[in-house]
Amino acid sequence: MNKSEFLNKMSVRWVIALKEEAKVILDYYEMALINKKTLYPIFKNIEETHWLILSGIGRHNSAAATSYLYIISNASKWTSWINIGIAGSGKGDYGNIYLVDKIFNQNSYITYPATMPKSNLPKMSLLTTDIPITNYSSKELIDMEGSAFFDIASKLTSKEFICIMKIISDGPENNIKQLTKLRIIELLKLNLTKIAQVVSYYENLSENENQIKEKPEIFFKISSNWHFSVTQLSQLENLLRRLKVFCDNNEIMDLIKQSKSSSSVINSLNNKIKTNKVNWSDI
Amino acid sequence: MIETIYIEKKIKNHPRTKSILKKFKKSRFIEIDKYAEIFNKRNQNFRIQKANPNLILAHKNDGFVLRTPEGFGIGSSKNFYFSHMYNCIYDCRYCFLQGMFSSANYVIFVNFEDFDASIKNVIDQNINYKITFFSGYDCDSLALENVTGFAKHILPIFQQYPEVEIEFRTKSIQREPFMSIEPMENVIMAYSLIPDLMSSSLDNKVPSISKRIQVISDLALRGWKIGLRFDPLIHGKDWKFLYEDLLEKVYNSIPLEAIHSVSVGPLRFPKKMFKDIFNLHPHEPLFTSPLYSNDGIISYDTNIEEEMSVFCKNLTLKYLDNSQIFRCYA
Ligand code: SF4
Repeated sequence: MNKSEFLNKMSVRWVIALKEEAKVILDYYEMALINKKTLYPIFKNIEETHWLILSGIGRHNSAAATSYLYIISNASKWTSWINIGIAGSGKGDYGNIYLVDKIFNQNSYITYPATMPKSNLPKMSLLTTDIPITNYSSKELIDMEGSAFFDIASKLTSKEFICIMKIISDGPENNIKQLTKLRIIELLKLNLTKIAQVVSYYENLSENENQIKEKPEIFFKISSNWHFSVTQLSQLENLLRRLKVFCDNNEIMDLIKQSKSSSSVINSLNNKIKTNKVNWSDI
Repeated sequence: MIETIYIEKKIKNHPRTKSILKKFKKSRFIEIDKYAEIFNKRNQNFRIQKANPNLILAHKNDGFVLRTPEGFGIGSSKNFYFSHMYNCIYDCRYCFLQGMFSSANYVIFVNFEDFDASIKNVIDQNINYKITFFSGYDCDSLALENVTGFAKHILPIFQQYPEVEIEFRTKSIQREPFMSIEPMENVIMAYSLIPDLMSSSLDNKVPSISKRIQVISDLALRGWKIGLRFDPLIHGKDWKFLYEDLLEKVYNSIPLEAIHSVSVGPLRFPKKMFKDIFNLHPHEPLFTSPLYSNDGIISYDTNIEEEMSVFCKNLTLKYLDNSQIFRCYA
């Protein structure tokens, strides 16, 4: 598969609160503002594989922006969803990036995101609050969006496709008042290699899933040549997936070329399966 | 390597929790309230999780011992099973667990003592019946023995009840604790086997057939009773030749007097389960076989099932008595 084919098959969506947090990502993945009136600023790359929405601060914004991006960008079930941003911390190291594997909010509602496996990035828990917190004492990471993003994204895709990364920007030793826009951009830039590494895992995950789940190309050809009912379409899809394992497209077309009706197509394909003996020595 | 271990708060100080955690010094530990917060939630992908499963240590509250489904057994009038664990370190393509759970993380229930009490209770209530227990229905009973120590824990109970059978069904090559203790007449070490060629395609991460046969032979020589489970029977080109080769190899490698029983079982899935498994692995060659839906069950054609069962049974009859051979339908 060449690069452009790969890019067309994977799909990543970013939900980021501030434009300073997004700047480095937008540049690196070559995303530009889309040419359309939207409720939130939305960016995408030319291949339309990466989309990014600027949600603004807070849980409500994050939840609404995540749903909005899902609709506007026509995200698939195997799209990877990424939330990245700065966070306060009473425990971690200033400037370092962390993967989030536990999220709780002030209602004590707890969720456990799956994280990228075999990553060298350290992991921490995240508290999402509705009001800025400066008492960092026992908290690992503190933000104002993560839990809402995760709640919505996990309704749109499997949990394994969702990733939250936070960079520590303030804490007991680093007053939030000293955090400038420029400093935020700098913090993201410093962690870009690590971010890209994590994102490439999620790109691959999405691409692999797409390969597994997408309808076989020949499905569209056949379904446009005969008229199938909804039930038959699902039978056809299943049969084609099975047949594709041991027949090429020409063989399949040969099997059905005499068929006068959709049921006869289904029957011919079924008959091929009926007589198949898996050749275990070929596998 | 297990990256993350989730630990239910209730059992975080349980001695078994502590001893398990000692084996995973590099893992990240996260406390949780209930294993269901992580395990089998909606919108999880079994296949993706299976690539890097995490471990959950939990407390089981009920359902310690259950009746086996109809058609599952090796001759006793009543059959029961218990699972100290959910999920398996192996990844067999026909495994029903991938259709049963949406999560591939391993759950280990550390309150073994509650299993003990339930087992004793079931034995007391069925004193007039011949009963068999099956260990590890929702997992492989021995594959993670070096972590859980469940078999080692449970065996002394069955020493007290020599008339009650227990079967450990496995694809592992786990030898302990069995090589270090005296063989027990009522314990069956049961091994699921399919021909080598099929196994290398379908039994992912599982020890090879030849390694398994070696362990079976070692345990048999040590005096343990062996169960051979040709289950599920897998169809395909040259299946007769492949099964003949497997069965001959097995019967010629193991002292026949050590064989307690042989069972043959067809490949069967409830329809909904099959749909889920097929969706996880739509490109799997196994599912290009002639599988049909009949009464809510997906299986090979009855003629194929029958032919395969009879073939294996007839081959087995060359070595063993008819009374030792069972057909399993569950
Ligand atoms: S060994 Fe058994 S439980 Fe484990 S994956 Fe294979 S079939 Fe499933």
